[in-house]
Amino acid sequence: MFASVTDLWNSLPASAQDVLWFVVLLLPALVTGLIVTRGYRPFGLVRAMMWRYRWTNALFIALIAISVGIGVGLIAQERGLRKGTARAAEKFDLVVAAPGSEVQMLMAAVYLQPVDVPLIDGPTYNRIATHENVSLAAPIAYGDSYQASPVIGTTPQFVTHLAGELVEGRMFAAMGEAVAGARVPLQVGNSFVPAHGVGEAAEHDAHEGHDITVVGKMRLTGSPWDKAILVPVEDVWAVHGLASGHAPGDAGQIGPPFDPDYFPGTPAVLVRADQLWANYALRSEFTTDKTMAFFPGAVLSGLHSMLGDVRQVMSVMAVLTQVLVTAGVLAGLVVLTRLYARRLALLRALGAPDRFVFSVVWSYAAVLIGAGALLGVAVGFAAVGAISRVVTARTDILVTATLGWPEFHLVAGFVSLTVILALTPAFMALSRNIATDLRA
Amino acid sequence: MGLALSVRDLVVEGDRGRRLLRIGALDIPAGSCIGVRGPSGAGKSTFLYAIAGLIALKAGTVTWGDEAISAMNAPQRARFRRERVGMIFQDFLLFEELPALGNAALAASYAARSERDRIASGAAAMLAHLGLGDHADRAVDTFSGGERQRVAVSRALAADPPVILADEPTASLDRAAADRLIGDLAELAETRGKTLIAVSHDAALHERMDRVIDIVDGCWTGEG
Repeated sequence: MFASVTDLWNSLPASAQDVLWFVVLLLPALVTGLIVTRGYRPFGLVRAMMWRYRWTNALFIALIAISVGIGVGLIAQERGLRKGTARAAEKFDLVVAAPGSEVQMLMAAVYLQPVDVPLIDGPTYNRIATHENVSLAAPIAYGDSYQASPVIGTTPQFVTHLAGELVEGRMFAAMGEAVAGARVPLQVGNSFVPAHGVGEAAEHDAHEGHDITVVGKMRLTGSPWDKAILVPVEDVWAVHGLASGHAPGDAGQIGPPFDPDYFPGTPAVLVRADQLWANYALRSEFTTDKTMAFFPGAVLSGLHSMLGDVRQVMSVMAVLTQVLVTAGVLAGLVVLTRLYARRLALLRALGAPDRFVFSVVWSYAAVLIGAGALLGVAVGFAAVGAISRVVTARTDILVTATLGWPEFHLVAGFVSLTVILALTPAFMALSRNIATDLRA
Repeated sequence: MGLALSVRDLVVEGDRGRRLLRIGALDIPAGSCIGVRGPSGAGKSTFLYAIAGLIALKAGTVTWGDEAISAMNAPQRARFRRERVGMIFQDFLLFEELPALGNAALAASYAARSERDRIASGAAAMLAHLGLGDHADRAVDTFSGGERQRVAVSRALAADPPVILADEPTASLDRAAADRLIGDLAELAETRGKTLIAVSHDAALHERMDRVIDIVDGCWTGEG
């Protein structure tokens, strides 16, 4: 029986599971509502109660909405950030660097947060580039910058791999040319002099005389590379007074093949295998005492799963915060029902059954909670939009978070839990003395 | 037809055992109009609440017709009020946000499905009878005090109960409105054979009653 239910569940499409799960979570609220209001028509009075203290009620709804909105907003945001960082890394199949920290190298090569690391030398690079299963081996040489944009030395093949066809201009074909990321404030035809280093420590006049002209623009990739300026790796070597990567007879050549004897070194190499399976073989092959090979996606998912615990704590805290706010709201509701105490006493004096009075108070609470939760979803949508823009601007990682089923499930669970808790003020309203309240 | 009221050895106590009301024996015939008079705090409202089954009795019996409400539990007393009693209060106790008809037909929201239409049409007929037929859809917060109390009377009589209990029905009204209300109440009780018990300070109301009883210091002291 249990096995067949599990099988049936697993056979359902994911969207059907989401919808069903949502219904299941909302069911306690609906069933409670049906039982409490069965046979009565409390909503005319509920409407009257809502309108009588409309500003107080609006305040309660707003409190619930803000707490629900922030809760679902944060959870959706966290998922969006995970997706965004994963998307930014998806072009980086395998990275080879000098042995060290994978996480540090991930930050440097994929997210362009510069760190000082030893370089991979010419023979090692050559071994990677000439491997039979390697279809792309691109040096990623960082260290220079222009204003807020890192200047990265690489090959034309990498630019195409990263962003596909250029949206404007052409590929760099000579020293002194560059292709700019979509969000670099330089247009085709603009020139600049790169600074040595990045950020406040950059030496702005170190590369005086090495003017670089933008000849092309990449399309938007949603990654920190949108802020990068890509130049021939030969140019990076040249401005630092190093060899050109090519034998003297090939001076002026841009891109591979490089001559190992004239290859000054690169902090990282992006490697793309011709077959998916070959990535694994390449990783073990290039995991040596001189090199470290790693899948950025795997490192990232390791980070995410480590943060997964934090995420769960966050979700629990989000729910807890909402429940706390609701507990506050329900406590307020107990006070609020005292405002209605005389009218409720009147109903009972006229002979209304206790269950009817109960249904009026509960329905009133349920309307506040339901309206707050609905409005909270709207607040959540607005919040993720706003936070996404801030995160995108701060990290250059495009985060397009939006509310999804996990958030709707959270809201449904919240509504069910709180409307059941709302039975308490309804019970308390019944325990009051009719005659005392009538005379109040 | 109204119900007769019989009260025997009634004792009501307040907090800490303070005696609020003691009535040895009181009989009110069905269909009579009774005024209850007495100084403030004498126990008039307590008397009304006691015979309505709204407060716990320390001792004694309250019997309407052949139903001893003093022997009933709270849900049974609520049902008795729902089916047999119409109540009117000094400050109307209306739902200000509802229209006149919504207030007058309030009992339809909790009545059995089969009763709802009867209550709604009874409420509409009462409003029309009391001159508010054209204003049934107006929110009562736009009504004058006299009009509000007529809505409250319509609410009390919508289900056509045999008993009307009124607690200072004219105390919040000006003289003209009070007189009109007294006329309406007395006329309704007389023509429809209701038992009307009205607690009031208003001598004009007492004039229209069949009997007036005095309550002083929590005791029935006889008839005025």
